[in-house]
Amino acid sequence: METFFTALAVLFVGGILPLFTYRWFRWMKTGYIVMTALGCLFGLFSVLQAFRHHGISAFSLSWLHLFSLSFSFDSISAFFLLPVFFICPLTAIYSFHYMNNERQAGRTAVNFFFFTLLIISMALVATADNIISFALAWELMSLSSFFLVMYEYQKETTRKAGYLYFIFAQAGAMLIFAAFAVAYSHTGSFSFDQFARIPSTAKLAVFFLALVGFGSKAGIFPFHIWLPHAHPAAPSHISAVMSGVMIKMGIYGIVRIYSLLQVNDLVFGQSVLIFGIVSGVLGVVYALGKHDIKRLLAYHSVENIGIILIGAGIGMIGIAMNRPMMAGFGFAGCLLHVLNHSIFKSLLFMGAGSVLQKTKSRHIDQMGGLMKRMPITGKTFLVGSISISGLPPFNGFISEFLIYFAAFQGLDLNRSSSILMMLAIVSLALIGGLAAACFSKVIGVVFLGEPRSRKVAGASEPGLTMTLPMVVLAFFCLVIGIYPQPFVNLAFQGLRDLHGSIMVSPAIILNLSGKLAMAARLFVGLLVVSMVLRRGLYHNKKVVDGPTWGCGFSRPTPRMQYTGTSYAMSVVEFFRPFVKVNTSYSGIREIFPLETTYETRVDDIAEISLNRGIIRPLLKVLGRMRWIQHGNIQLYIGYIILTIVVLLFFIYTT
Amino acid sequence: MESLLTFGLAILSAPLFPGVILKVKASFAGKKGPPLLIKYFTLMKLLRKGSVYSTSTSFVFKMGPTVSFASAVMALIFFPLAGSKPVFSFQGDVIVLFYILGLGRFFTILAALDTASPFEGMGAAREAFFSMLAEATIFMVLILFYRMNGSLSLAGYFLGVHPITLVSANGALLLMVIVAMFMILLTENSRVPVDDPATHLELTMIHEVMILDHSGPDLALIEAGAFCKLLFYAAFITHLLVPPNLLAGPVYTAGFVTILVVIYIMIGIVESIMARFKMNLVPKYILTSFTLVSFAAILTTMGVV
Repeated sequence: METFFTALAVLFVGGILPLFTYRWFRWMKTGYIVMTALGCLFGLFSVLQAFRHHGISAFSLSWLHLFSLSFSFDSISAFFLLPVFFICPLTAIYSFHYMNNERQAGRTAVNFFFFTLLIISMALVATADNIISFALAWELMSLSSFFLVMYEYQKETTRKAGYLYFIFAQAGAMLIFAAFAVAYSHTGSFSFDQFARIPSTAKLAVFFLALVGFGSKAGIFPFHIWLPHAHPAAPSHISAVMSGVMIKMGIYGIVRIYSLLQVNDLVFGQSVLIFGIVSGVLGVVYALGKHDIKRLLAYHSVENIGIILIGAGIGMIGIAMNRPMMAGFGFAGCLLHVLNHSIFKSLLFMGAGSVLQKTKSRHIDQMGGLMKRMPITGKTFLVGSISISGLPPFNGFISEFLIYFAAFQGLDLNRSSSILMMLAIVSLALIGGLAAACFSKVIGVVFLGEPRSRKVAGASEPGLTMTLPMVVLAFFCLVIGIYPQPFVNLAFQGLRDLHGSIMVSPAIILNLSGKLAMAARLFVGLLVVSMVLRRGLYHNKKVVDGPTWGCGFSRPTPRMQYTGTSYAMSVVEFFRPFVKVNTSYSGIREIFPLETTYETRVDDIAEISLNRGIIRPLLKVLGRMRWIQHGNIQLYIGYIILTIVVLLFFIYTT
Repeated sequence: MESLLTFGLAILSAPLFPGVILKVKASFAGKKGPPLLIKYFTLMKLLRKGSVYSTSTSFVFKMGPTVSFASAVMALIFFPLAGSKPVFSFQGDVIVLFYILGLGRFFTILAALDTASPFEGMGAAREAFFSMLAEATIFMVLILFYRMNGSLSLAGYFLGVHPITLVSANGALLLMVIVAMFMILLTENSRVPVDDPATHLELTMIHEVMILDHSGPDLALIEAGAFCKLLFYAAFITHLLVPPNLLAGPVYTAGFVTILVVIYIMIGIVESIMARFKMNLVPKYILTSFTLVSFAAILTTMGVV
């Protein structure tokens, strides 16, 4: 625990420094990165220590004489701290060349400060051990990330996105605190370890309030609406951390509450599983329909949160039905996917950031041919795309395999559960196919083919500090894919302190992950052999360069290429009732047509129904009450006094 | 050793069987048709040639054929061909296998998009869409098989104590699987009625248009991979039809090969008597196969095992 707090102290000092040294822009950035990397290294060390020494270490101090703040370290916290301390320093390094506008030195320093606060608060969320410390850390996390999103506050879209995020974060926090309040009303204690004692009906309320609250942070459909707005608005290294690491804190919250309540009913697992299936399938369908590269990646976060929840739901059903194999592999797949997603999603956001910096555009249909102009970004993005599509021999496949394996174990349960397992398996297969379709679209349209605009044609590789973290992350995608044993083991280690009987014999885990490793290596070997074979076949052969075969047409232009929109449209239309496709086409009316326009947009039904169902009625009611807000300060003070008097009256009479 | 031998034999014999399809189609048209070994001649011809690469392409274009070839060969590694043990097998290998085939497809699509040709983009979009739907059917088959004999590997399906075959107590359910898998075979291997390998109009193609720009040994690798993939699906269905413990040894092998050839003949017959579907009918066609298998799977939850 001491190492952990030393790490946080180092991070904090590192975060304060830029506020004083921003005049020396490059030195400020270098110092910040060194301190952050150092702090995170300490943090990683403390996490690994926690894995090695079994048992729980705790720390507490009293605050305001009334409350105590306590923090503790168990295996679940330790596992969720891994991405925090692994991804954050890499994104800090990335920011060296990404935040290269010296005129905004002061703002960059503030950005760094809040970034540090975000890292510290995420670490505290994962270790908080009572209601007060959790609530404080959670709010600190939401607020610091809000300021990070608002970096380009002059733009109206950014401000809108920021406020939307703020509302979702606070509404979510409200539900979480409501859950805590229900628990507190039964236990009368702020401590987490009393949660198991509350009656089972209250447990139901606590769990579902918390599920929705944490779900709005994690981006579960239909509480995901802020994600596709906030991620494009934030600077890319911030989106990388928010999508790769911060939204996982929502998953942490769900797993933590589940473990604290020690519930064994089927309904918890079933509802988590259904949320997972819906988020997974719809997330990737919307991602297919989007043309903004960062918005598309944001929808993929919704999809991956879905996959993670499918794993967690299967695990919970496994615990409820007393199936250790199912529970173990489900939860292990869930945890491993948390780690994997943090790796490949931050890699992809960094890649998107490089493209954005060099082309000044986020619209994928304006790009093309970047693989030749930005080879490192292109190749690492390709690795990230294969990983996120869950294809072997990369890391995404390993965690999805564990979840599949758990789901198959549950096929012989009673009727309702086995039908749910079938749904889970088929939707995982669908998600896999759709994700592969979506990322073949991104790679194909952004990186391959010919550039579709002049700015894209002149793009070049970004600075070294931007490419280096991407290479590191891509390397880890491959390592986890080919040497999965230690990582699968780590995920099972992470489950050690979860309640319930998750006893999967180490021999089974080792055997299965060993076979997976073997299959991946066999495939890589086969691929290498095929490549050598191909080289041999081309020995002494005539190889000519020529234009692409245009089926007889001799004057092709880059604008004739297939666009991402047309590539995805048939799939998106297949999901018609769940996805709203808006098309406006001016049509061709004359014999010699003038300018014609065609525009198509995919709208999110969750957003539309939120607008129709809640926001508009709310605005209507609240609009009538505008007279309360008149700008007269004396009267505002009067409101406060009035409220206090009423409350006092209320308290003294009861 | 025996399994390695079978594996090698399978790869070598894979180009033989598509010759059967051509023969059947020719006889329907009242023609003599090309020799049975035509595909070997085609491969030899391609291997002797050099290649033309489009100036639009990058290294991804050259990786496409290699990855798709390696993934198709990998599929045969897990496969217990004609009752012999597979080269490598474990509980869960079917999931690995279909995902590796997915990787091959991913790279074929990327290679197509790399050429900057609108036609190839069109083919790629269709391939991505249809294969996604086909994947749902395949995983439903895996679900059904798991419920039937608790196994998650090809060796477990076809070699275990309770092999999955038509001549068993629950064989009736397999009728639906066989029809569905035959439909998926036609989809995944770009045959009529989903795709027409013999068509001449780029706008109506799926797979053929994606590989328009490949030539020489690269095209040979793609073709060889496609033969392996077709053999994999045909042998999968054959295993469902062959009674496993009828007769051991050469008789079994002979029976296996006979049924395998019959399946290829069936493909030829379908191609001779049917036309390609309109594109918007293809999703319905694939979903029909999905419905068939899910119906069988739902029956097992009602006690029909």
